[in-house]
Amino acid sequence: MSNRDYGDMFGGGALVAIGAFIAYYAVTTLSLGTVSRMGPGMFPAALGVILAVLGAVILIPALFREGEALKVEPRSLISVTTAMLAFVLLVEPFGLVPAIVVLTLIATCADGKLGWLGSAILAVVLAGGAVLIFQVGLDLQLPTLNWPW
Amino acid sequence: MFEALVDYTILGLSAATAPNSLFYCFIGVTLGTFVGVIPGIGALATISMLIPITFHLEPLEALVMLAGIYYGTAYGGSIASILLRLPGTGSSAVTCIDGYPMAQQGRAGIALFMTAIASFVGASIGIIIMMVFSPLFVEIGLSFHSPEYFSLMVMGLVAASSITSDSQIKGIAMVVLGIFLGIVGTDINTGTSRYTFGITELTEGFTMSAIAMGSFGVAEVISSLRKFKGGTLTSKSIGLRSMVPTRDDVRRSWLPILRGSSTGSFVGALPGAGATIASFMSYAIERKVARDPSRFGKGAIEGIVAPEAANNAADQTAFIPTLTLGIPGSVTMALMLGVLMIHGITPGPSMMANHPDLFWGVVMSFWIGNIMLLILNVPLIGIWVRVLMIPYHVLYPAILMFACIGVYSIHQTTFDVITVIAFGLLGYFMRLIRFPVAPLLLGFVLGPMVEEYFRRALIISAGDVSIFFERPVSLMFLLITAALLLWSAWQSVRQSFQRKVVEAPLPGNEAAGARDGEAAQSR
Repeated sequence: MSNRDYGDMFGGGALVAIGAFIAYYAVTTLSLGTVSRMGPGMFPAALGVILAVLGAVILIPALFREGEALKVEPRSLISVTTAMLAFVLLVEPFGLVPAIVVLTLIATCADGKLGWLGSAILAVVLAGGAVLIFQVGLDLQLPTLNWPW
Repeated sequence: MFEALVDYTILGLSAATAPNSLFYCFIGVTLGTFVGVIPGIGALATISMLIPITFHLEPLEALVMLAGIYYGTAYGGSIASILLRLPGTGSSAVTCIDGYPMAQQGRAGIALFMTAIASFVGASIGIIIMMVFSPLFVEIGLSFHSPEYFSLMVMGLVAASSITSDSQIKGIAMVVLGIFLGIVGTDINTGTSRYTFGITELTEGFTMSAIAMGSFGVAEVISSLRKFKGGTLTSKSIGLRSMVPTRDDVRRSWLPILRGSSTGSFVGALPGAGATIASFMSYAIERKVARDPSRFGKGAIEGIVAPEAANNAADQTAFIPTLTLGIPGSVTMALMLGVLMIHGITPGPSMMANHPDLFWGVVMSFWIGNIMLLILNVPLIGIWVRVLMIPYHVLYPAILMFACIGVYSIHQTTFDVITVIAFGLLGYFMRLIRFPVAPLLLGFVLGPMVEEYFRRALIISAGDVSIFFERPVSLMFLLITAALLLWSAWQSVRQSFQRKVVEAPLPGNEAAGARDGEAAQSR
C-alpha cells in the first residue's frame, strides 16, 4: 500500500471542518454587529474562515503527496489517559491519596520497567510527597482521604 | 537617565533580596537546573506545572521563581549535552557537537566549567542590555495605541509561528486555532457566552495552565515515554580539580564568549527567535571566523562556550519585549504574561510605571539567580551528574501526578483535569502528524488581547479598516508581517518541490530525536 501523507490530510481536513464549524456557529448563534461596533460573532467568524482556508491549503497538496507512516504508541497513550481519568473519578469521592496511588499504579504500566513492588513504593512516595507539598506546604484545602459510604 | 537607573537598581535590589524572593529564586533556579539536566522535561512543561502554585504567591515571587526555572534550564541543559550527548534542552542541542567529544577526551570537567562561566557572562551581558534598553522600549511603547498594538501582536504571532516551525503554514494555522480557543467563554464587551455549549466551567474560558500542561507536559510524557533508553555517562564523577581550564582554553574562549553574548542578546529580543536559534547562530559564526574550522565537531572549546553564552543572553533579553511592551516572543514568555494577568497586572509599558518594584525586582533577581546558578554548577556539579542517572520511568508518574493535582487545585473542579487529558491527546496527535503545538498556546494566551485591540481600533476609526495602514508605525509592523508571510509562502512552495530533503544530522540518538519536537516548541 502506498503511503499517502495522511498526517497533513488528516490535520488539514480537521482544520477545514473546525474552521467551518466556528464560522457557522458565529453566523447562526452570535450577533455579528457592524465593523465599527462589532458584535461577539464578528471576530470568531473571521477566524473560522481563515482557519478553514489554511486547512484547505494544507489538505489539498497532501492529497497528491507521499508521506511517512504514522506510528502511534498505543500502550503509552492508553495507560497515561486511563491513569489521569482514574484520578478524575477518584479524587472527589475518595480523596487525594487513593487518587494518586491508582494514578501511579496505572501510569507505571505504560513501560513496565518498574515491577509491582517498585510501582507500589513509587505510589506511596508520590502520595506522601503530594500531601506534603500541596497540603502542608501550600495549605490547599483538598481532601486527603474520604470514605463515601 | 543614569541616576534613574541607579535608583531603580536599588529599588529592585531591595525587592529581590527580601527573604521570600531569595527563597523562590533559589527554588526556581534549582528546579530549572534539575529539569534542564533531565532530557524529557523542558522549561515549558515545568513552568506550566508550577503555575497553579504561583497563585498562592505574590506576583514578584511568582515571576522570580518561574523566570529562575526558565534561565536555569539553560545551565542544566549543557550538562546533559556534554556528558550524555543528549540535549537536556533545545537551546543546548548544539553544545553536544563539541561538548561530548571533549568529555570523551577526558576534558568533561573543563567543558562543564567553561560552559558555566560562558553562561554566566552571557546572562550578565543580557541583563545589562535589558536594564539599559527596557526604559527605551517603554517610552516607545507608551506612544502605541490599539492599532499599533494589534499590528505588533499580529507581527509577533506570525514571526513566532513561521520562524520556529518546520512548516510555516501549519504554524500560522495553529496560531489561529489558538486565538479561537482563547476567546471561548464570555465576551467581555457584551457578556455573551461564546462556544461554551452550556458548560458552566467554560464561561470563564479554558484554564491556561490546563491547556499548557496538557499540550506540553502530558503530550510529552506520552510521546517520549517509551523512547528513552538513557545514554552512557562518560565520567561518573567530576572533581573540582578536573575543572581547571588550561591557559590555552581561556585564551581561545573569551572572544567567542563575547561574540556569543552579543548574538544572543540581539536574537533573544526578537519575537519568534530565541535561545535555540541564538545558540545555533553563534555556533555557525564561530565556525566561520575560526582559523581552522576543521577542529569543530572534535572538541573545540569555542563550539561550546559561544552557544552557551548566546542562549543564556537570549533567555534574559527575551524578557525585554515581554515585560516592556506586553508582547511575548515565545510560549514560555506568554505563560509569564498569563501569570501576571492572573495576578491582575496588565503587562505592557504602563507596568514599569505602576509596578516599578515588580519590574526592577525581577531584573535584579536575574543577577542573584545567575550567581546562585554559578555556585550550583561549579562546586555542586557532582549532584547534577547524579541527577542524570535518575531513570525516566520514575519521573513520568510524578509529572502526571503534578499535572493532575496542580490543575485540580486551581478551581477545584475535575473539568480542568479533563481539559488536561483532552489537550494531552490533542498535543500528542499534533506531534504525531507534525503540527506544531507552541503556536497554539501562544495564540491562546494572546487571543483575547488581539480581539480586544482589533475591536477598539475599529471603534476609534468608526469601522474604517485603513486605520491599520494609515498610522506609520502600525503600517511598518504590517509590512514586516507581510514580508514574513511572503517568505513563508516561498518556503512552503520550495518545500513541496523538494520534499525529501535529508534532515540535518542533529547530535544525539533516538531520544534526542524525540526532543527535537520540544526543541522547536520551547523557544
